[in-house]
Amino acid sequence: MNIFKTEPTFKFLNKRYYAFGLSALIILAGVATYFVRGGFNMGIDFSGGTMVEVGFNRHVEISDLRMALVPTGMGDAQITRIGGEQKFFIKTMNVSDQAMKSETMDDHEVVARKIENALMSPEEKAQTAAGKIDLNNTAIGEIASFLRSKGLPDTDCQEAAQQIIDARKTGTGIIADLALLEARGLKHKVMSVLRESAFLGKYTMLSVEIVGPQVGKDLQKKATMACIGALIGMLLYIAFRFQFLYGLSGILTLAHDVLISLAFILFFNIEMSLQTIAAILTIVGYSINDTIVIFDRLRDNLKTMKKDNLEAILDKTLNQTLGRTIFTSFTVLLTVLSLFLFAGEVIRPFAFTMLVGVISGSYSTIYQSCGWLQVWEKSFLKRKKR
Amino acid sequence: MNKSLTWKIGLVVAVIVLSIVMLVPPKDKINLGLDLKGGMHLILQVQTEQAVAIQTDNNVNQLRNTFKEGSIKFDKVLRKAHNRIEISGTQYDDERKIRDILDDDYRDWTYSFGGNLISLTLRPNIENQLRDQAVEQALETIRNRVDEFGVAEPTIQREGLSGDKLLVDLPGVDNPDRVKSLIKSTAMLEFKEVVAGPFLNEEAALTQYKGVLPEDLMLVKANPRRMDKGVYVMKLASVVTGKDLKRAHRTQDEYGAPAVGFSFNNQGADKFYRFTSASIGKLMAIVLDDRAESVATIQDAISNDGIIHGRFTVQEVDDIVLVLKSGALPAPLKYLEERTIGPSLGADSIRKGLLAAIGGLVLVVFFMLLYYRGAGINSVLALILNMLILMGIMAYFKATLSMPGIAGIILSIGMAVDANVLIFERIREELAAGKSPKSAIDAGFKKAFITIFDSNLTTVISAVFLFQFGTGPIKGFAVTLIIGIVASMFTAIFVSRVIFDLTYGRRKKLTRISI
Repeated sequence: MNIFKTEPTFKFLNKRYYAFGLSALIILAGVATYFVRGGFNMGIDFSGGTMVEVGFNRHVEISDLRMALVPTGMGDAQITRIGGEQKFFIKTMNVSDQAMKSETMDDHEVVARKIENALMSPEEKAQTAAGKIDLNNTAIGEIASFLRSKGLPDTDCQEAAQQIIDARKTGTGIIADLALLEARGLKHKVMSVLRESAFLGKYTMLSVEIVGPQVGKDLQKKATMACIGALIGMLLYIAFRFQFLYGLSGILTLAHDVLISLAFILFFNIEMSLQTIAAILTIVGYSINDTIVIFDRLRDNLKTMKKDNLEAILDKTLNQTLGRTIFTSFTVLLTVLSLFLFAGEVIRPFAFTMLVGVISGSYSTIYQSCGWLQVWEKSFLKRKKR
Repeated sequence: MNKSLTWKIGLVVAVIVLSIVMLVPPKDKINLGLDLKGGMHLILQVQTEQAVAIQTDNNVNQLRNTFKEGSIKFDKVLRKAHNRIEISGTQYDDERKIRDILDDDYRDWTYSFGGNLISLTLRPNIENQLRDQAVEQALETIRNRVDEFGVAEPTIQREGLSGDKLLVDLPGVDNPDRVKSLIKSTAMLEFKEVVAGPFLNEEAALTQYKGVLPEDLMLVKANPRRMDKGVYVMKLASVVTGKDLKRAHRTQDEYGAPAVGFSFNNQGADKFYRFTSASIGKLMAIVLDDRAESVATIQDAISNDGIIHGRFTVQEVDDIVLVLKSGALPAPLKYLEERTIGPSLGADSIRKGLLAAIGGLVLVVFFMLLYYRGAGINSVLALILNMLILMGIMAYFKATLSMPGIAGIILSIGMAVDANVLIFERIREELAAGKSPKSAIDAGFKKAFITIFDSNLTTVISAVFLFQFGTGPIKGFAVTLIIGIVASMFTAIFVSRVIFDLTYGRRKKLTRISI
């Protein structure tokens, strides 16, 4: 099979102003969104703060959660449902208590504890107060030592604790019924202890992340430096392998991809985190590949097509390499799509950014990289002929 | 079959066997990251400035003593900053003597005389050395504590090569509070003489001294969990400290309540005996991390051992014993970052990651076969080998597989076949230009090589920047991506070629190839 039975003869270059226009439009819309929203949706990696991931074994609305959080002064927390499941991210950037302006880690910890406290129902609180343990929210070691304190033999305790954790690992992460544990083969004396002095919470804390404000600032700086560093790295390498103007065109193309990705991150209010930066850096490294393929061919063509004008040479080059530009990006797109669809909410911001970046990358390779070369046609050709 | 093909096949087989050996059994060889198996991740900062300040304080005490012994008159010796000491009120006649002392015994300091004020500043290289030592010592202490606590396969290391940050990864731990207080406890144990107290609050304590506390005294709050609330006025200088301890263990007090038992080493016992025998009837406090744990009247001269009692639970006693045993931290720690991942979240991520990997692989294989037919099979074989090598190398380097790492592997499926695409397209082009299949394959591999090399290198460059900037899981992503790309250079260029040679090499007359 072949996309193009014979070499295509598209005239790419004469449409380059439309392409520049379209890109400028998207980027400007991104800038506008930036100011309307007042900046990026910063994840706690960058802003510092507390993020809790919590799962329930019943249907819960975001508004229910917000209602529960209001009395603790965290009604303005950002709550998002994960997929279509009964799982939520609860994120707060600042410690809402006015008295705790200093925002140390300990304050954020208090926030995390407050959130958990707000999520507990009155009966769960009562049972905890009565000295019972919540099998859905207790760590393996704690469960084991709790059982030991009830006078059970050590091996039974460890085995039972492991079984309880394993039971949580399947399905929603919440054990709905003690009978489920019995089915896993827990001993009768263990079960009777559990029936008497343990209960099953209706929620489970899947993860708790707390990042101090200082880390975030460091990371913002480092992320910017890494992106700029990578761009300069590309410029130097291409300038070394080809010529400076190729390098310049290459990184302008990359800067375009980065800006388009950032614009879409803004449009869809995707969270800026370590992951998103990782995606952007990967795009920087990957989307230059197609450009290099084209520049490589261009170098050959400039030798053989001395009589043609630059636009014709560029068009010819683009057409010759069009098949592989599209298909190489397509294979990566397939894997990114699979990530986006199947790999879950944790990695979705990464997959989304990659998705945008890969598409933008192959579009920009065609319309931008050579477009830029033509912009400085005069000096470019002069150097070429020498 | 010619000779060079034989050794090429040999090499490929060797790589396959080696990768499998590295990888078997996968459950033991592939290290899962905290985000996949659950656990606690901490970033801590050692307050190295305080470690320097403690050292400076020691020097201040030493200076005072030396001056007293040498009968050099002075008004005050004070620490003015964490690395600066000021001596005031010295006599002009003593200058020679003082200079001699400073030159001989305080080589780590630079000093300057200004009027009757002498200021000493710690040399920057010494200060850096002290800071570095503090971080190393903190690392060691935390490692001891974590080992005592019993966490399997913890990671405790400096974040970056230098700097004051420590990374602590504790797999399987998801009860942050206890572990954190264990790690964070500076475990500065001091026995101090109580001058007055308890007072209701700090203001009440200060009224005794008209609001200004003399320099040799300090205020210490009672730990409200152990004893009644209150503030005590104590001597700044400790009688003995945790350094003078030989042993700590769990014991019971006379009422059978849990208590911390301890015994002194020779030096400690000596100091303690001298103090207690001279202070019978006075109050003495046991202070842990600047909180009074217990205050008692000295009944007898004590030398060897004693107990700390208060309202402890058994667990609290065990934790205090543990931190006393593992030694004091050289400086307080500050938490910068804390992530706790429960066990069920990790299991869910693994399931989804696996699904995405299979999805990506199936899609790529399908389209490669559809688009390149016979040559597609070639690239799929190369791709499978690529994955095998990638996992083998990760196992060899004991790299940690995190969720972003899985994403990196999935992504490298798509990127690895790029090299095949570039080669196959070039072969098609050569065929279209009328070359024979054999020379088309030859030319395809030869001409595509430099392009593949260039484009892969750029991806590696930016992955290196990513590695440099990222923390744990993101580093894992960068690593899998780099390994995947390097492996693809081998599989797509070398292995693919071998497969072509194997399929078409033996035919005498080759008129058509499936591509």
